[in-house]
Amino acid sequence: MEEDTKLIEAAKSGDKIAFGKLVKQYEQLVYSFSFKICRDKEKADEVMQETFINAYRGLKSFSGNSKFSTWLYRIVTNNCLMMHRKKSHEPVVSLEDSDLFKGTNELQVAHWGETPHDAVLNKELKEVLDAAIEKLPLDYRIVFMMRDVEGLSTEEVGKSLKLSVPAVKSRLHRARLFLRNELNPYFAK
Amino acid sequence: MTLVDHKKYLLEICEKVDQDLASPTCKKLREHLEKCPDCAAYYDSLKKTIVLYRNYDVEMKGSRVTQILARLDLDEPLQITLPPKGPGQDRNKKHPH
Repeated sequence: MEEDTKLIEAAKSGDKIAFGKLVKQYEQLVYSFSFKICRDKEKADEVMQETFINAYRGLKSFSGNSKFSTWLYRIVTNNCLMMHRKKSHEPVVSLEDSDLFKGTNELQVAHWGETPHDAVLNKELKEVLDAAIEKLPLDYRIVFMMRDVEGLSTEEVGKSLKLSVPAVKSRLHRARLFLRNELNPYFAK
Repeated sequence: MTLVDHKKYLLEICEKVDQDLASPTCKKLREHLEKCPDCAAYYDSLKKTIVLYRNYDVEMKGSRVTQILARLDLDEPLQITLPPKGPGQDRNKKHPH
């Protein structure tokens, strides 16, 4: 963290090597998060590169009040939302009473079998996970990924996305139930 | 227990799925899960949903430092190396909950 602060300060002063080191240090994290939102490796690569370009140009506005990674996550989400608007006709923000979430408040009880415990997921399972999350509107997907997958606090997610804490909780709640219900047919015994 | 009774716990299960059930704030839910197999199964499936997405990660194929710096019209810094990771400094480690 202290090392990051030094690199950021040096990069702000125009130290190219310092910025290069920051890119090197965070590129995997940014790429991985970009993929989790875009669900496409090519788009993730594009978003990752754009994110560092935006970060360099806006580095002076980074105050250090949040972690550098949290600041990068915010740029990634903005880039993903912009790319989505350009390339898709699907609305980014779904209506609260969208048909998509109908039934997610029903308790569909089913006992799931064992799921893989380690990070090695097979191709079939990855396809199931991709299909489920691709159905989830982007604004819900982003909240789920930031909070549950990347482990940011509810407050950090709210601050990054300019959402109130109750709004983050509401989207997270819906996203969790939606994904669980989408995966239910695959895992239910 | 009726479906309506179960549904009372749905919101709480969803809110607390990422919390430590041993904590005092989860006492009531923990007690319910211990005696209700249906809600326990639901809780388990919700938790597994999160773990599955957490485990689904992708690795970059090669660094993009050169391309990014070139796009910024910055000279490519030669031999950028990072200090070796010390114990407990895994950069890919997720934030603790």
